[in-house]
Amino acid sequence: MSLSSFIARLAGATALVGLSALSVQAQTSGEPVKIGAIVSATGAGAGLGVPERNGLLLAEKDINAKGGIKGRPIKFIVEDDASNPDTALSKANDLIFGQKVQALLGPSLTASTVAVGGVTHANKIPQIAFTGIGPAVERERKCVAHVLPPQRLNATALLEYAKSIKATKVGVLHDAGYGNVVMAELKPLADKYGVKLVAIEKFEIGATDTTTQAAKVKASQPDAVFIIATSATPFRNVKQIQITQPVIAAIGSSSYEYVNAMGPAADNIVIPEFVVGEDPLPHQKDFVELYKKTYNSTPKNYEAAAWDAAHIIAAALNKAGADATGEKLCEAMKAPYTGVLASYNFSADDMTGIPISSFIFSKLVGGKYTRTPFRVAQ
Amino acid sequence: MTLSLILQALFAGVTNGIVYALVGMGLSAIFKGSRVINAMQGEFAVIGAMTTVLLLTRTGWPYAAAIAGGAVAGALVGAFIEVAFVRYMAKKNASEDSFLLLTIGLALTLSASVLFFIGRDGHLLPPLGGAGVLIILDAVIQFHALWLIAIGIGATLALRAFYHRTTIGLSMMAASIDADGAATTGINVSRMRTYTFVLGGLLGALGGILVTPLIGVDYQLGLNLTLKGFAAAVLGGLTNPLGAAVGGLTLGLVESLAIIGISSSYKDVVAFSVLIVIMILMPQGILGRAGRRGG
Repeated sequence: MSLSSFIARLAGATALVGLSALSVQAQTSGEPVKIGAIVSATGAGAGLGVPERNGLLLAEKDINAKGGIKGRPIKFIVEDDASNPDTALSKANDLIFGQKVQALLGPSLTASTVAVGGVTHANKIPQIAFTGIGPAVERERKCVAHVLPPQRLNATALLEYAKSIKATKVGVLHDAGYGNVVMAELKPLADKYGVKLVAIEKFEIGATDTTTQAAKVKASQPDAVFIIATSATPFRNVKQIQITQPVIAAIGSSSYEYVNAMGPAADNIVIPEFVVGEDPLPHQKDFVELYKKTYNSTPKNYEAAAWDAAHIIAAALNKAGADATGEKLCEAMKAPYTGVLASYNFSADDMTGIPISSFIFSKLVGGKYTRTPFRVAQ
Repeated sequence: MTLSLILQALFAGVTNGIVYALVGMGLSAIFKGSRVINAMQGEFAVIGAMTTVLLLTRTGWPYAAAIAGGAVAGALVGAFIEVAFVRYMAKKNASEDSFLLLTIGLALTLSASVLFFIGRDGHLLPPLGGAGVLIILDAVIQFHALWLIAIGIGATLALRAFYHRTTIGLSMMAASIDADGAATTGINVSRMRTYTFVLGGLLGALGGILVTPLIGVDYQLGLNLTLKGFAAAVLGGLTNPLGAAVGGLTLGLVESLAIIGISSSYKDVVAFSVLIVIMILMPQGILGRAGRRGG
């Protein structure tokens, strides 16, 4: 290659890079499209709300860099409900009637979602909640969609893994909040999977010691142990009293906050979840890289759920028109969507449509997440 | 129910009981010396444990020095709270409920400060005596838990000796029983109250440091410990630090035996029913009367 042709190629390549950078940094102009968001940035739910806020703000930048909503910028007005349903409700009222948002994302907690859903449903404001579907009344709210799996699906994922390792006797340690809700779905499903729940032990939320409950699980000689909680305590206790059977944990314990608090106990634990930032699936790679670059930390499920919700509403607005709201936007939102966390179909009965095949099964080894090859076929 | 399960429940009950006892003893030492119900006793535990964690991980102090640093931090915060708030309010004849409100406010402030400056994450400390365990009849107890029990019993005995054998201890007791009488014999009553808070802070910090290798410490731990410690102190007789030790052990054992005896779903129902019965039968607490003699 001669020098001149080399320079010509180099110039061409530079121009190409410049051009692609330009096309990514598309300009948006005009009145911003306002979307409200409520997260639990403080209080008991902050472990969910803070990652969700990060995911939302990253999505806002990403959507606007790619042209926004038909050339107009999208703006997420993020409010904190302090993990309190009353606060969530008043923030929702302000966002809907004061700020005139076209749709609402969040909240982070089930109780807040149920409360806010009363307003959005009555006023036909499309909502995408960062929770799994909760009490029966939510099934009637056909424009309140959910980006996290219903608890029945979480229970199914635990049982699918138990089946795959041929565990027929399972001991359960669960807390009195989240754990109770998943347990209610798990009990009737267990029979179908030929799994006998040989010990079901409960502990209060925030318990600092669950050793005795773990000892009862151990005494029932299970083939595997399910832990359904939002704390690191039961994991440490299970290892402390030397339970050697495989531990399978529900998604609630998957955040790094809990994993770090487990210390050396964060080993040989399988979690059915969606995002392993250390080893993302091909369609998750772009999001994970962008997140790492922006926040200098590795994202997990809740960051991805908020990111997906933001992109779903943006896609629906691009389809139905930048000023769309109400039923028109709601209908547009219901198109099947393949997100980072999972594939959704909000026209499904559970207002989620996440298939069991969206789950990946991660394994904690020495405090680090690895992705196992196990998947469940639809 | 197997023997090994009962033994495991006893291990857990005694370990938790000693933790409740340490928090309860600090609470009751402060109440005895100042008539302040200290709703931030659990925060002393968080301060002690967090300081130890920071000294160990960020400045690389040896573990023993970091533990001493954590305990001193608890004592200093105790002294600060007495000098900065309690002393001033006592001069104005603040009522018991004002003091309670003060300590509730301080508890929330401290917890929020830990969240703001140190973050949400939980931290563990290395176990004393290594990660080894003792196994008896299939029931497992960590070496660290044995250390915790031994140090807890040691602290209880030392506290009793302090109140009975040392001049400062006797003066503190005198100042708490009859402040005017003590003042006429030349005891500096307000300084004794400062010492009381130092003692409370020290005991709370010690409890926090000892429990961290087992349960980890984060900004939310304080309230939990305060509640259990308060139950332990009331059960044993609030004016008697030794009673808090007995109360703590009772509470820990009732809790864990309720789990294996009945069901983990009804653990709190059973545990608190037992406490109610004890309080009806012994309204002064298990060691209540001894409290009047100074514990």
